[in-house]
Amino acid sequence: MGHVARLLEAAGTPTVIIASAVFRPRLVAMKLPRLVLTPFPMGRPVGAPGDMDGQRRTLRAALELLASARAGEALVELEHPYRPGM
Amino acid sequence: MNAEDESFVDFKNSFNDGPRRDLNFKFLKGLPADEAAAFLQDLLWKLGDTLDDGDASRLIAHVKEWQARNYSGAVPRWSYEEGPFTPLPKPVSESRLALLSSSGHFVDGQDLRPFGVENMSQEEAAERIVSFLRTPPELSEIPLDTPMEKLRVRHPGYDIRGSQADPNVSFPLYHLVSLVQEGVISELVDPAYSFVGAAAQTPLLREQGPEWVRRIQEKGADGALLVPV
Repeated sequence: MGHVARLLEAAGTPTVIIASAVFRPRLVAMKLPRLVLTPFPMGRPVGAPGDMDGQRRTLRAALELLASARAGEALVELEHPYRPGM
Repeated sequence: MNAEDESFVDFKNSFNDGPRRDLNFKFLKGLPADEAAAFLQDLLWKLGDTLDDGDASRLIAHVKEWQARNYSGAVPRWSYEEGPFTPLPKPVSESRLALLSSSGHFVDGQDLRPFGVENMSQEEAAERIVSFLRTPPELSEIPLDTPMEKLRVRHPGYDIRGSQADPNVSFPLYHLVSLVQEGVISELVDPAYSFVGAAAQTPLLREQGPEWVRRIQEKGADGALLVPV
């Protein structure tokens, strides 16, 4: 997906990636334009199943970064719990 | 093989590509035996704590920590000195956004039938992981009005149970549709897109990627939300 982001961006379409922080080293190495890292397990990058509020928080953060970034390698690390109360 | 004859190395490796395949714990194969033993011992110890206080967050943290270790040691295959950047030309509330995930979702009845196989199961996909990694990816189109119960998911590289239970965990289409209705986003590109991210990367970079960029741009996207799994 990192390559798709780089291709889109080079062609003039801004991107933001939401990914589990599990993959941090390989994502950071790709010098991606905008990256939201979530503290969630593999396979659940946006949030836990059924946690609508947490998932929306992740998406809101991504949309904010999409709009606010002024240079590449913009990185936001989210810290909200995988499930409420955890 | 008799269970009595099974070595610990065989046991830990079987979570990746053996009879105990469990993609949440496929990293066990990449660990030296002593580290895999430490992971399991700590997991059971923390489970004991959870029996007493019901707090499963320590189990989730433990699994995440060891999943991350799996990717922290090796030198990344793809590394760049710098990257392209394009600013968003207008506010999100005035923008038309595309969604692209590598989750492996598709619409019921529109399976792309990898390797020509009808109704490939998740288990068969996981068994064919090496073939997937050698094959260029294909893009599934998912219309914005697709009912959630019509979505299917299959992927050889991760545990899809969360994505089955709630597609939004990896393919957040339904939240984005709500955000359009609320005026946070102006519009979404119709359709949304998903593909199996466990695919040959060089063809993706040189062939499918540029083609997908063209398709997304032809839809008038001002920006794109990308979700690797």
